[in-house]
This record gives sequence, C-alpha cells and structure tokens, in this order.
Amino acid sequence: MLQSGFAKYLRDGKGFEGTLIVAAVLYLLVFAAFPLIYTVVMSFQEVDMFTLGTLVRPFAGLQNYTDLFHRPEFAPIVWNTVIFVTLSIAFQLTIGFALALFFLQDFPGSTYVRGLFLAGWILPALVVGAVWRWIFAGDFGVLNYALQSLGLIDGQIYWLSDPAYALYSVIIANIWLGIPFNMILLSVGLAGIPGDVYEAAEMDGANVFQRFLTITLPMMGPTLGAVIALGVIFTLQQFDLVAALTQGGPANASNVAQYWSWQMSFQTYEISGGATVATMMIALVIVVAVIYVRSVQREQSF
Amino acid sequence: MNVDHPSMNQIEIEHLNKNYGSLQVLHDISLDIPIGAFVALVGPSGCGKSTLLRTIAGLETITSGTIKVAGEVVNDKAPRERDLAMVFQSYALYPHMTVEQNMSYSLRLRRRPKAEIDQRVGEAAKILGLEKLLKRRPKQLSGGQRQRVAMGRAIVRNPKVFLFDEPLSNLDAALRVQMRSEIRKLHKNLGATSVYVTHDQIEAMTMADLIVVLHDGRIEQIGKPLDLYRRPANRFVAGFIGSPAMNFVPAEITADGRAIALGAGALLKIPRAQEPGRKVLAGLRPEHLRLDGSGERLAATVDIVEGTGSMTFIEAKVGSELVNIAYAGTYETEAGAPLTLGIASEDIYLFDPETGRAL
Repeated sequence: MLQSGFAKYLRDGKGFEGTLIVAAVLYLLVFAAFPLIYTVVMSFQEVDMFTLGTLVRPFAGLQNYTDLFHRPEFAPIVWNTVIFVTLSIAFQLTIGFALALFFLQDFPGSTYVRGLFLAGWILPALVVGAVWRWIFAGDFGVLNYALQSLGLIDGQIYWLSDPAYALYSVIIANIWLGIPFNMILLSVGLAGIPGDVYEAAEMDGANVFQRFLTITLPMMGPTLGAVIALGVIFTLQQFDLVAALTQGGPANASNVAQYWSWQMSFQTYEISGGATVATMMIALVIVVAVIYVRSVQREQSF
Repeated sequence: MNVDHPSMNQIEIEHLNKNYGSLQVLHDISLDIPIGAFVALVGPSGCGKSTLLRTIAGLETITSGTIKVAGEVVNDKAPRERDLAMVFQSYALYPHMTVEQNMSYSLRLRRRPKAEIDQRVGEAAKILGLEKLLKRRPKQLSGGQRQRVAMGRAIVRNPKVFLFDEPLSNLDAALRVQMRSEIRKLHKNLGATSVYVTHDQIEAMTMADLIVVLHDGRIEQIGKPLDLYRRPANRFVAGFIGSPAMNFVPAEITADGRAIALGAGALLKIPRAQEPGRKVLAGLRPEHLRLDGSGERLAATVDIVEGTGSMTFIEAKVGSELVNIAYAGTYETEAGAPLTLGIASEDIYLFDPETGRAL
C-alpha cells in the first residue's frame, strides 16, 4: 500500500513527472554538462600530472591557446581535419543521396537490398577499421590486388603508411561507414515529398531533371541541411577509425583534431593542450548544431 | 470549334481496359467527350472513375484500347506532352513555392517571357480573387484558397482540357456549394473541355452537361443529367442518381400485364404493358410518392418522421418493405399512423430483378 507522503506524491501525476525530469537533469548535469564545462575550464588552466587530482589550478589565460597555435603540427592537423570533414561529407552525401533516389524506385527486392546497406552502419567503427586495414594492406591487400589486376597501378601502394595516401585511406573508410546513415535520413526526407506533387509537376510539363531540380532539391533543402550538420558533427567525432587504421600517422600525415586531442590528453599527458583542442571543437560543433536546429525548424515549416 | 480536326470530340476513348496485375479495374470503356463539354465521371468509391481520369492524364498506363486527345492517339505520350491541366483532390500545391510561383511554374518551365507570365498569372489571380495572396505560401492559406490556387495553376496554362479529380471533397459543405457554381461559371467563361470526377451525384447533376456513371470499372450509362434521372438504364443508375435514393420494392406483373401487384396487396397501373406474371422490382422515387393518395394508391404505416421545416422525410412500411418519402413542406404525423400514398403511373420504374435492366 502506498500510504506515505512521498509515495502518494509520486503516484499522482505531478510527482511522477517531476521525478522523471529530475532524474534526466541529474544525469545530464553529471555526465554531459560537468565533463564539458570541466574541459573548457582546463583549457584555461595549467594542468600537469601533479594537479590532476584537484579542480583549482593556476589560471593560464590564453596561454594554452597561443602555445597550441605555435606548435608546428597545428596547421597541418587543422588542414587535415578540414579535408577529412569536407571530403567525407561531400561523398557520403552525394552517394547517399543517389542511393536514396535509387531505392525510391519501386523494383522487386528494393527494401531488402536497402536493408543490406544498413549492415555497414551497425558495425562498430573499430571493426570497420580492422576490415579496411586488411583491404588497404600494402603487400597482400585486396585493394592493391584489384587495382593491379585492372592494370591501373604497377607497384604496391602503401595506403596506410605512405604519407601521401594515409589521410585519404581513412577518408575512404569513413565515407563507406557514413553512406548508410546519409542514405536512410535522405530516404526519409524523400518519402516525405507527396507523390501527387510530382504528378502535378509532371502535368505542368516538368521532365525528370526539372522535377529533381525544382521539386526534389528545394523540398529536400531542410533535410539536406540537417544531414550535413549531423555529418559534420559525426565526422568530427570520428575517432575509432583513425585509431584502428593509422593512429594519425605516419608523422601526423593522417592526424585530425579529434585524434590529436586524445593523443595529447591520454598519451603524452599534455592535458591542457588536449582540452584546448577539444574546446575549440566544442565551439565549432555548437555553431553547426545551431545550423542543424534551424534546418529542422525549417523542415517543419512546409 | 476546332477546325483542325474533323471530329467534334476533344477526347475519344475506345475499348479501354486497365489491369493491375490480374485485377481488372476498367472494363472496355468507350467514351467520346465533345469539345467544350463539362463531363462528370461519377460513381461510388472504387468504381474506377479516378483511374479513368488518370489514364486520360497519362499518370496511369492502359492495358489495351486507345485514348485520343484532339484526334491524336496519346497512349504512349507522357503527361507533359498531352497539354492537359489537372486539379488534384489534395490540390498538390508546391509547398516551397508562393502562390505566384505555383501558378507560374508551368510557364516558367516553358521559358515564357516574364511579361507574359506576369500577365497570365495576374489574369488568373483576378478571376479567382487571389490577387492579395500571391506572395503567400500554401501553408498560409485556407482550404478554399488552396483550392483556388490549384485551379489557378490550371487556368494559367490555357490547356485543351481541364481534369478535375474530386476537387471539392476536402472543403466544408458551404464552401463546396459556392465553389461548385464558381467552377461552373469558370467553365462557361473559359469554354475549355472539362472532365470532372466526383462521387457526389448532386455535384455531377448540378455541374455537368454530360454524366458518365461508372460502377465496378464499367460504364453503366452516359447521358444528360435529367435524362439519367428520368430514364435510368438500370437499377444501379436509378439508385445512384437522385437524393434521397429511389425505393425498390419487389412486385409482380398482373395477369393483364398492365399493372403490378406489390406484396402489400396494392395494385398499381404501369405506363407500358409488360409480360404477365413476371417478377419485377418496382422503383419509386421518394419525391414522387404523394401523401394525398392521388394517382396509384398504396397503403403504408409511418415508421420514422424527420422534419427539417422545408422538407419532411418519412420512412414508412408498405407491407414488409420500407420506403422513403420526401415531402416538400411540413407534414405532421407520428410513428404507427396509417398513410395512403399515391404515385403517378408514369413515375413507376420497373427493373429486372436478375439483371437490373430497366423494363
């Protein structure tokens, strides 16, 4: 029997709702807000092995930031990150969009084949990385074998250890990993365009390309915006693939900001440096998140 | 009149069949639609009327037969090559475009000069009273306004034929009546051939020059509205056209062939002699049944009375059969009261109970 005051309070609607909210807010405060703020705070502090156990440390002002900007690897890694994000998203989006349009056509088995594409998405990125390591392997990898058999290359390409290729190898694996996600979100967007709008356009005289340009693309605008924003966020999080494939090497040739931040924090223990990189990425992600939210709002406005 | 083509028909459909896999949805449809006519395709849901319209539009392929527009076979032509405009039930407006852009879309696709586009959109907007809404998006419009934009989009094109797919079914009753007469006026002014799909026989009766009644994918009858009302070819048309619907009462032709005997013992004289002893279905329209007992008489008992002031609807029992009576005016009575109904002999319809054909 629920007789006590609190149990009664819980049992009537308000108390139950309140408890759920408090639980969720507590969770967010402890596991999301605190680490985030802690990271930002650390980027303005002198953090070393001796002050790890305390929250109160000497204030460093912007020293961590200027130090970071003056590192020789700063510019190459930022540039790598830009290439990583831009190419990943450009190809994930175009291939994903093309596949979404392809599977929108009603052909036998389309739903099953589309389902198979999702298989890649549910694999952990570390596993995907391990598989692509084999594909990219220099001496016995299947990619080199295929390219040689087709007569496209003569010798071996050392995809993961050649500084000219390492970054692009990671990008290729990341594109493969991201295509299903893009395809599914864009499929949902495409399914949201009513069929009779296309029929009306057909009656109005639009051929298939005109329908794509004047109906599909503009009506997909908000969805594309949301998918690109989510893509930027996910790509900036893509840590596992780098870890599994190249560990940022050789000589930072394939290093990207998110991996660099981890290296500094947990391998070389330059914790304030790692926190500084992370803080700058947080700022970037917030900007992208705002774009995402705006996009979603626009999506609902049609 | 179209002088380029000797035929006076805008659309000619010959022996059209349409299957979805093994399911045949249109059976041997042949239909001529004269230039400038307003033709209604009417029938209950699932009768194939929308499918027939969509085959004319080119949005559905046909299994066999031919469709001609302005004398030219269009079977293998894409919708955009047929020069027909369609108003959809859902309006199918382009949600990301303003009213103006919605209406000018087809002209912009054809790369017409800007001045011409503005002029034609302006004219259509004026006809439909949309001038103040040109910069709005469909989402900011009411149902009736969206309906007008859908019509505007069709008018701007100045097409050979307008196709309407239940354009009023998403509007409320009052607006529907208003738009009904507006579409009619529009047709009078523009003079373009119109094919109008509806499940509402009143809409068809009030708007169309010619009505095509469809049932289970077959044409039941083609005719002018009052011809369908006065001379239905079969039981289906008789029951579908007219509101409230015709009463059907089982009866038998008397020995002299000049009257019918209803189950309740009434003898009614019929307009034309029939085969004696034959079992028939007698069709009696509710509005033809008189409460003063004049003409051919039959006894009934009141079951339910519904008065609306201007009309009184009475459900009465004739023997074991229920019949509806529509009386213009107020008539005060109550359940159980006896009635003596009358009907003019020429208002009695007879149908074969097996085939449903009018006798």
